Amino acid sequence: MLTYRNRLAVAVFLAPPLLAYLVAVVLPIGQSLYLSLFKWDGLSDPRFIGLGNYSKMLTADPAFWASLLHSLVYLVITLIFQLGLALLVANLLTYAGKGREVIKTLVVLPAIVSTVAIALLFRRLYAFDPPGLINDLLSWVGLGALARPWLSDLSTVMSAVSIPEGWRFFGIYMLILYGGLLAVPRDLEEAAKLDGANEWQVFLFVRFPYLRPVWITTAIMATTYALRGFDVPYLLTNGGPGQASELLTTYMYKTAFANTNFGYASALSVAIVVECLIAVGAILLLVRRRGFSV
Amino acid sequence: MTLAMSHAPGKTSGSMTGTGARLNLHRYAAWAIIALIVVVQVYPLLWILLTALRPAQEFAAGDAFALPSSLTLDNFVRAFAQGNLGRFLFNSIIVTVAADALIVLLGMMAAYAIQVIGFKWSRVVLGLFLIGIIVPAHVTLVPLFLNYRNLGLLNSYWSIIVPLVGFSLPMSVYLFQSFYSYISRELYDAATIDGAGPYRIFLLITAPMSVNTVVTVVFVNTIFIWNDFIFANTFVLDKNMKTVPLGLQSYMGAMGSIDWTATFAAVCVTVTPLLLALLVLNRAIIYGIQGGATKG
Repeated sequence: MLTYRNRLAVAVFLAPPLLAYLVAVVLPIGQSLYLSLFKWDGLSDPRFIGLGNYSKMLTADPAFWASLLHSLVYLVITLIFQLGLALLVANLLTYAGKGREVIKTLVVLPAIVSTVAIALLFRRLYAFDPPGLINDLLSWVGLGALARPWLSDLSTVMSAVSIPEGWRFFGIYMLILYGGLLAVPRDLEEAAKLDGANEWQVFLFVRFPYLRPVWITTAIMATTYALRGFDVPYLLTNGGPGQASELLTTYMYKTAFANTNFGYASALSVAIVVECLIAVGAILLLVRRRGFSV
Repeated sequence: MTLAMSHAPGKTSGSMTGTGARLNLHRYAAWAIIALIVVVQVYPLLWILLTALRPAQEFAAGDAFALPSSLTLDNFVRAFAQGNLGRFLFNSIIVTVAADALIVLLGMMAAYAIQVIGFKWSRVVLGLFLIGIIVPAHVTLVPLFLNYRNLGLLNSYWSIIVPLVGFSLPMSVYLFQSFYSYISRELYDAATIDGAGPYRIFLLITAPMSVNTVVTVVFVNTIFIWNDFIFANTFVLDKNMKTVPLGLQSYMGAMGSIDWTATFAAVCVTVTPLLLALLVLNRAIIYGIQGGATKG
C-alpha cells in the first residue's frame, strides 16, 4: 500500500464533487419522483394522490399523447439531419481533397450560437409579411404558391420548429462521422475496388459496416439530445398555434411554471426521463438483435 | 452541448482520393453538395452580421436579404443603449467563469479520487456520475425551483451555477478520469518515494499534466454555459440578474415593433467571445470532435 492511497485523501477529494452532484442532480430527481405522487399548486397543502398523476397522464390527458407524438416527430426530423444528411456529407467530404479543413470549421459554426439567437434568426427566415428568406426563395424559383406563414400554418409548424435543431448541430455530428470514416482501412477499400465495386458499393459494404459503432454512438447522442429539445420550439411558438407544436418538454414546463401544477409537472418530467431511457434501450436492443457489436 | 472529445489531436486526415477518371464525376457531385451545405450552414450567420451592419430604415423598408447599400455601426450603439447589454454580458461572464472553474476543479478532484487514489467502490461512484450524462435537465427544474424558493436563492448567480455545474460534472469527470488512466503508475510511485503525499502529488503532478483536458472541458462547457437558456429562464426573473440569452430574449419578447437591426447587433456582440475561442483553438477542437467517438 502506497502512502498516497489513503482513505482520508479519498474523502477530501471525493466529497466536494459528489456533494455538488448530489445537490444539483440526484436529490432533485428523487424530489421529482416524490412530488409526482402529489397534487400541489405550490401554495396550499400538497395532497397525496399516489399514482393518480400517472393514471391521469396515461388515460385521461390527450395533450400528453399529442405532445409525446410531437416529440417523436421532432426526433425524426432532427435525426434526418444529424444522422442521415450528416453521414452523406461526411462521406462526400472524404472525396473533397483541398479545402476540407475550412469546410469542417464552417459547418460547426451554428453550434456556438445561442438558441435564443437562433430563434430570432429563424423567426425572420420563416416570416411571411414582409416575406422572409424562405418565402422569398420560393417566389424567386417560381414556387410562390407554396409561400406561407410557416410557424402559424398547422401543417408546417412541427417541421418549422424541428429544422433549426437539426441544423445547428448538423456540423458536430458530421465531424464525428467523418472521423469514423477516416478510420476505415484504406487497403480494404482498394481491394473492394479491384474486385469491381463502385463507390456506392464501397460505402455500403466496406465503409458503413466499419463505421457502425461510431454511427450507433452518434445515434444515441443525437436521440437523447433531440428528446430533450426545448429551447427553440419554446422560443419560436411556445407550443402553438394552440398545442400544434407542443413537445413533452414544453408541455411539462408550462404545466409547472405557467399553471403551477407542480405534482403533475413532476410526473411529466419523470415521463421525459423514461422516454429517453426507452429510446436508448430500443437503439441498443435493435443493435443487438441484428447482431452488431457496439 | 457536451461532447466526448479526446485530448490529443487525432490522426491527420488521410487522403481518400483514389485514382482513375471515373472519380471525377463523383468529385464534382460531391463538391456541389458540399458547397450547398456550407451555404446553408453559413449564410444565415452571415445574414445576421449583415443585418447588424445595415441601416435600420433599409431593413424596415423591405428587401432585408439584399446586400446593404451602406454599412453602419449605429445598431451596435443602440443595442448597448437600449438593452442593458453591458449588464447581461457582465452577468454571463461571472456565471461562466465561476461554473467553468468549479467544473474543472471538481471534475479533476473526483477523477483523482476515482482513478489515481482508487478505492473499493470507485467504479460504482464513476457509474453514478456517468448516469448524469443522459439525465434530461427538465426532471430537476421543479425541485430546484422549490428548493431555491425556500432558501431565498432565486434570482442569484448560484441558482444558475449549481445546476450547470451538476449537469456538466459527469462529462468532466469522465474526460479527466480517462486521461488519468494513461498516466503511468511509476510516476506516482517515484513521487511517493520522494516523500510526496496525495495532496502534493495532485498539485504538482496530476493537475499540471491535465492542461489539454482542461482546455477541452472549458471550451465545451463555456458554449453550454454561455448559451444556457432553460436554467436562467426558470430561476432568474430580476432584470439586473439576466444573462445574455435572457437579455436577447427581452429584445424579442416585446410586443409591437422590434428593433431587429439592434437585436442582431446584440447577437453579434454576444457570439463574438465563443467565435474567437473557436478560431483560436480551431485545430484542437475540430480534431477533438472528429476523434471523440472513435476513441470513446
